[in-house]
Amino acid sequence: MTPSPVPWLVLLRGCGRSFLLQASWNFERMQNLGFCYQLLPGLRRLYGATPPAEVLQRYTGYFNTHPFFAPWVAGTILRLEEQRLSGAAPPIDGADFQKMVMAPYAAIGDALFWGALRPLAAVVGLFLSVQGIIWAPLVMLILFNVPHLLCRCCGWLLGYLQELRSAETLQRLRLPDAAVWLKEGTIILLGVLCAMLAVRGCEHQELDALWGLVLLPVVLLFAGLARRGVTSLAMVVITTVSLLGLALVSQ
Amino acid sequence: MGISAYLTTGALAVLLGLDRTAFLQSMVSRPLVAAPLTGWLLGIPQAGLEVGMLQELLWLGQLPVGTVIPPDDTQVAIGATLLALTLDRLLGLHGMPAVILCVLVAIPLGQFGRYADRRARQANNSLARQAEVAAAAGDSRQIEWLHLSGTGHFALSGLVTCTAIVAVGTLLLYPLAPLLIGAVRETGLSLQYSFTLIGAAMLLGTLNVSRGLLLFGVAFVATLLVLWLR
Repeated sequence: MTPSPVPWLVLLRGCGRSFLLQASWNFERMQNLGFCYQLLPGLRRLYGATPPAEVLQRYTGYFNTHPFFAPWVAGTILRLEEQRLSGAAPPIDGADFQKMVMAPYAAIGDALFWGALRPLAAVVGLFLSVQGIIWAPLVMLILFNVPHLLCRCCGWLLGYLQELRSAETLQRLRLPDAAVWLKEGTIILLGVLCAMLAVRGCEHQELDALWGLVLLPVVLLFAGLARRGVTSLAMVVITTVSLLGLALVSQ
Repeated sequence: MGISAYLTTGALAVLLGLDRTAFLQSMVSRPLVAAPLTGWLLGIPQAGLEVGMLQELLWLGQLPVGTVIPPDDTQVAIGATLLALTLDRLLGLHGMPAVILCVLVAIPLGQFGRYADRRARQANNSLARQAEVAAAAGDSRQIEWLHLSGTGHFALSGLVTCTAIVAVGTLLLYPLAPLLIGAVRETGLSLQYSFTLIGAAMLLGTLNVSRGLLLFGVAFVATLLVLWLR
């Protein structure tokens, strides 16, 4: 049986399904069902309305990677399945490829999207909100979702069109370096934001703005505590109780 | 305050709650978006924006990686915004001090969201086991159905968490808010800004950058000096 290439409409359905990757996230197999769910329109095109049990079993095993990078894996696997069915020996088995790349892709995605871009978008959003800009949440959403949607949709297409070469494309993008730059940008913006709040606080108390420097060691102390595992809830409780206690005493 | 406010909040708790894990993950579930959206729909956009600003950075450093489940800041944001409306309508308290009280009450209850989320994921374990059987039988339609039904568990988790925050928050705030509102007003901007500064410190502590403290310090001092000289 020589399969016809997967049509664009089916690829589009697969891309749409990637947004539901984690709909049934579970502790035992994590994203396994979501991954299979994304592949199913393509597998039905290749194998007919009812893909064989062995194919379904191959893609309902353990799977866990960063959700925005799962389409990169799924696209490649769909192409490998297509090659296998056409009789051309694929360079690697789909399930083996899946096991091989899910951890590195997860590391790249976690560092870039959760560790760098999400904090940057949030700090930019907060910075604009503090300036009284009502559209700040929208700016935050755009800043995060343009790269997010590009990664999901282009990753799915590149995975299918370039198959194993998509991993090289990903490597050429130097995303771990980009993550470090974004984190540094976030920290600088955070410093600017905190200084602005410190100056505003001083002006409100009719103090010289230089008194705001006192806040720097306080923030650094809290950052040190955070590194030692003290939770934000504990810090909020301690700070609130202290400030409210002082206010009640002075009343 | 009519039933429509509760229904709107419930619908948002489900829809925005799904964005956290089950669907899209587009950040509409972040407090800075979820709270203003809730506030806008409830007719208190300013209070919503204030809730979001107070809360955005607090748990941002906790990454949703692997089996790690951060506190449910989405439901805290939605719940705190509804609590702000409740305080306004029941006790006539509004403005930033009232918003701060609502956030203070809602934040600890965010831990309940962790428990609810864990239960949803545990419930999904059975879906994965059923899917194994369906795969062995070659039933791909059943796999799709099982997968999509997982969203129901996450939706329920969000709704239960938001309900708990609003119910417990209302019970606590009704007697406590009139007693504490004066002290909160007395703190001026200190308490308000402490949320952002703690959030910034948490983020600084969790962002793994080799010269992070130096960059932060230089940016802080340089900005402060520029503003001082202005």
